[in-house]
Amino acid sequence: MLRYQEYNELHLDFHGTTNTTLNYIAEKYGVDALKMILRKTGRDVYRSIHDKLAAGDASELIEHLNWFFYREKGKYRLSVTENEIILEVLECPAHRHLKKLGMEISQYSCLQTAEINAGMCEDTPWHSKVEVLGEGHCIQTFTKEA
Amino acid sequence: MIPSDHFVRFYNEVFKFLDEKDGLQEYYLEISRHQEFHCLKDFREKGLRGVYDYYLKIRKEENCDLDIILNDGELILKMNTCPSLSKAIDNDAGVCPKYCLHCPGWTAPLYQKAGLYQIFDVMGIENPQCIEWIYEAPERAKAKYKELLKSRPAEELRINFEL
Repeated sequence: MLRYQEYNELHLDFHGTTNTTLNYIAEKYGVDALKMILRKTGRDVYRSIHDKLAAGDASELIEHLNWFFYREKGKYRLSVTENEIILEVLECPAHRHLKKLGMEISQYSCLQTAEINAGMCEDTPWHSKVEVLGEGHCIQTFTKEA
Repeated sequence: MIPSDHFVRFYNEVFKFLDEKDGLQEYYLEISRHQEFHCLKDFREKGLRGVYDYYLKIRKEENCDLDIILNDGELILKMNTCPSLSKAIDNDAGVCPKYCLHCPGWTAPLYQKAGLYQIFDVMGIENPQCIEWIYEAPERAKAKYKELLKSRPAEELRINFEL
């Protein structure tokens, strides 16, 4: 069960504000500061996912990935085994919307995903990895320690 | 990707970081510049009608319980339940005590550039409510501000014009 689950209207322009904020923090305070904020967001905002991962339960993480990429009409493939969750994003909904707005995609956009995911996994048996394969195309992997 | 549904909870973490660095005001100006892209042309060209139309979209997309009252030369935005603060409160990371200040923080300079005069009563983070009055004529904004001061302390009201 998701801790935060919205069903109503979407304000996709928030992707634009996120994009501006990523650039602003990195350029003014440095990339490490940006990483720190993102990792804290992953760990503390998604505390419910984090705590379940720490207890060996990946159910909320799986539901989170599936629900929000589905809700934002992303193109993706999600595969799950006991010790590994693989999300291949074929078309990132955030990047799609930024392009629609005519905005330049922040160079920190995929770092956002990597650090949020790492924050969710911090001090749990799970580890995350993000491989960027192209524009709006990545593979996000969550692996449980054997 | 931070889902657009969860942006405000990330925003809230950014506010906490920037507050420690005394950097909120400068960030609000950056967001205000960003929002110019979405709003400034309409606000300048259409005045209060442009602001009215923008908030019709926001009310729908952000799921606001918001009264938008357009009178002759006056626009009142009465937020009965703010979805943004509601999410920041309903948040395992906890709400930034200055969360609400971002709203006048980015809107005030934008309205100023559009030649509009704003009075904002943030009301505080305890309840997700606020109210703002926007005018095309500075005299009306000043008169409203003086009227409001009779029932509210000055520190609760934010204005984007000189008295």
